[in-house]
Amino acid sequence: MFEKEIEEFIEKVRTRREFLKMSGKGLAGITVTASVLNLIGCTKEEPTSTEVPTGAAAFVIPKGLIVSQPNRCTGCQRCEMVCTVANDGKVHPYVSRVKIARNFNYGSEMTDNYRNENGYFGNFLMTPETCRQCEDAKCAAACPADAISQNEATGAWTVDENKCVGCGACVQACPWNMPTIDPETGKSTKCILCGECAENCITGSLSLIPWEKLEAMLRRRGYRLS
Amino acid sequence: MANITGWTGKLLRVNLSTGDIKIEDSMKYNKDLIGGAGLGYKVIFDEVPQGTKAFDEANKVVIAVGPLTGTTAPCSGRTNITSLAPANPYHAVTDSHMGGNFGPWMKFAGYDAIIIEGASKSPVWIKIEDDKVSIEDASGLWGKGVIDTTNEINKIMGKEACIAAIGPAGEKMKNLASIVNTVNHSAGGHGGVLGSKNLKAIGVKGTGAVHIADGKNRDWLDLNKYMLGEIIGANNNHVVPSTPQTWAEYHSAGSRWTAQTALFWGAANPPVETGECPPGDLNKVGLRTQKAIFDLGEVAEERTIKMGGCYSCPIRCQSNLHVPELEKYGLTPYATSTCINFSTPGTAMLNGYSDGENKGEVALITKCLGSRLADDYGVWSNYGQLHRDFRYAYNSGKLKEVLPKEEWDSIDWSLMESGDPGWMLEFYNNLIADGEFSHLLDGPYELDKRWNLGKDYWTGSGNNVWSKMAYPKHHSNEAGAQVGALINTFFNRDCNNHSHMNFIGAGLPIELLKEIAGEVWGSPDALDAPKNYTPMNEYKAKFAKWSIDRNMLHDSITLCNWVWPMTVSPSKSRNYRGDLALEAKFYSLATGIEMSEEELDLQAERITNLHRALTVRDMNTIDMRNEHDTIPEWVFDVDPDMKPFTEGTVKLDRDDMQLALTMLYKEYGWDEKTGAPTRETLERLGLKDIADELDSLNLLP
Ligand code: SF4
Ligand code: SF4
Ligand code: SF4
Repeated sequence: MFEKEIEEFIEKVRTRREFLKMSGKGLAGITVTASVLNLIGCTKEEPTSTEVPTGAAAFVIPKGLIVSQPNRCTGCQRCEMVCTVANDGKVHPYVSRVKIARNFNYGSEMTDNYRNENGYFGNFLMTPETCRQCEDAKCAAACPADAISQNEATGAWTVDENKCVGCGACVQACPWNMPTIDPETGKSTKCILCGECAENCITGSLSLIPWEKLEAMLRRRGYRLS
Repeated sequence: MANITGWTGKLLRVNLSTGDIKIEDSMKYNKDLIGGAGLGYKVIFDEVPQGTKAFDEANKVVIAVGPLTGTTAPCSGRTNITSLAPANPYHAVTDSHMGGNFGPWMKFAGYDAIIIEGASKSPVWIKIEDDKVSIEDASGLWGKGVIDTTNEINKIMGKEACIAAIGPAGEKMKNLASIVNTVNHSAGGHGGVLGSKNLKAIGVKGTGAVHIADGKNRDWLDLNKYMLGEIIGANNNHVVPSTPQTWAEYHSAGSRWTAQTALFWGAANPPVETGECPPGDLNKVGLRTQKAIFDLGEVAEERTIKMGGCYSCPIRCQSNLHVPELEKYGLTPYATSTCINFSTPGTAMLNGYSDGENKGEVALITKCLGSRLADDYGVWSNYGQLHRDFRYAYNSGKLKEVLPKEEWDSIDWSLMESGDPGWMLEFYNNLIADGEFSHLLDGPYELDKRWNLGKDYWTGSGNNVWSKMAYPKHHSNEAGAQVGALINTFFNRDCNNHSHMNFIGAGLPIELLKEIAGEVWGSPDALDAPKNYTPMNEYKAKFAKWSIDRNMLHDSITLCNWVWPMTVSPSKSRNYRGDLALEAKFYSLATGIEMSEEELDLQAERITNLHRALTVRDMNTIDMRNEHDTIPEWVFDVDPDMKPFTEGTVKLDRDDMQLALTMLYKEYGWDEKTGAPTRETLERLGLKDIADELDSLNLLP
């Protein structure tokens, strides 16, 4: 059963990587199960069941795979700071393209049962959210100024600051409210898949697995990526 | 300053008597006093008249952070609170400190500091959303615990707001009350001051940025990577692992670097292996400190969901646990705390635990239950002294004597006698009730006045009261002999100073530590081997002064003194040398003001002097040596059969400690007879106005 899961995962990564190479366009994240995490070296635990709801996801970017694993996130929020230092030259969590602060206290929603739900006031679990780089990007479709397009090199849906009028249509259109209008510049910010957050994550909750490393890991377990 | 970076350049002043809310320039303080504690002492010195008591309307509370808060600097998530302290016999100034998100949130809302003055006639809370600030009615919140209060305010402000609140202990103006944000980040000793002002909580959220110096963002990221890769260790900057590991030349059983192969965050889904986390791997720093097993024993491994901690901190010293047994006591099955609140509840289990294990399951449940109650009620343990006071009063028979019979009979002592975790509910509920028992929250000074605890309470070893200033020891004579003892005499509460302890306890062999001590303080003699002390020398005085000043720096800039300063590192390639210029490097890149290590140390020395001047004024005496810097008898009387300076004892010598004080005063340029700052020293540090004020009060030596 794990075998099938793993094959499927590798197939998805393979096609997306090919697609990225050819078209320069990225695709949505891939759900990652415990057995896949084990395969790609993110956990040493041998999976005992296929139905471990880890909430983990992988994103194909030119440098490799970005993997997000909520079970490793400590809530330090350094990823938000790093994202904005790298991309905006300032620390501005509110406009960070990876979002953790808003999930910190109560998860994605505050309920009356908050002491038992996600977040630091409940079961301590919080998920760093990143842009899914949707196949069918609602943010781009909604933009009246055509300011969001897929970057040739990275495949990320990217805001052209010269075109962006700061209307916030993308923020509203995105099902996960990932873009944010920077109150200081009046421009939309969203993830460009630079990988800085993952490179600097203190526990590997967000991690970047370079292609060479992934290939080697798969080879060792008898699989091939290309 | 045209383009302020690092700081926001603004402070918020809220007067609860008049309802006035003002935004002011913060740079007039920050330029020479960095921020945080430096700013706090200056505001209290300038604005709170001599003779004011902690709960007087004239007392002020200064919540302040520095230029590194909210900037990604490692371990920069702490918030400094400065005010007069009700537990201090003279109500002298102290700082309380909390981690969590509050300080950074304050900066993102646009403020380096919040000054709270006056007192409201009825319960209120303060709502801060960027530049929209208002005073709100809190009558519906009064009586609630910290968690419920926070949640009610989150319903109004939104789920991302950070709330600092007091619990019942603060409302009832207990001396030992804390201010708590984000579940378990508590600042000890000023909760009652907020209570006296009828201020239940402060909620803050912001959409702003903290800027760093222009064009320095790559340098900034590189500096972070350098620190995380080569310099920082684990909690308390322990730089060797606790077990032998493939990459490690040294290990030390007491190290908080507990990560190792086959040790897990066992309740994570799927479980996360801590593994070996050698220097150089940035993505494992946050796994190094598996604090749950350190604080609570091996039983905690399978209950560890993850490690938590403060904003921007890569160390994660607070365990987030799944403890289903808590449901039996009406709580949810989740627990988290700082190490002191996990450790201290056990001291109140005078008969041990029902399963007879000190680090077993019952102990874990008890400590989790106790810490959750303490954090929710806003009770400050006074660095564990509260529980020792209970122990002393019970064991000496005093408690039975002072409690009215009806109250005594109403307490279910059988829970304590049988070692049942339920004793925690009984203990904490009685602390915040209105009976005689609740006077344990008066703190040692008032409690002794009320209950007449006797000489043994103050001088007996094991009870740990440090001096007549009525606070407990905190890394004192067992931590660097005279160095730790000197540091413990300096403050107006438990010294809370880890500059020396992080170095001494780093886990490296003593020969290596002595070598490094020689490089930093001028001679390897600055440090003695544990329990093998030598008489006082000037290098120990330099070490002690440096430790106090760095602590002042950290509380002002604001960095966590539980991990900083970086005297040593885990890197063999650096021969385990740390980097003591790192604070200055971060300061320079954040503010754009070029700052050397020496210049920044000088600013810290200025802040230490300000603290000292304030203490002189608060106590209305220059005789610091005899009135303030006193040392408990037990330091000199332990191990009656041993002489000081023989191997195997931490015993110190009376005359030698007086010499130690003289040498420390000399290092600071204070009057060597009294230990009070001189005009010359204050003026050398640019504190002429402070000297003039002390002069006018006849308080210069
Ligand atoms: S840096 Fe990593 S551990 Fe910290 S909040 Fe972000 S994802 Fe979580
Ligand atoms: S911003 Fe939202 S809609 Fe746009 S690509 Fe990202 S996740 Fe999809
Ligand atoms: S990949 Fe880059 S742009 Fe995207 S969230 Fe991470 S740091 Fe920000």
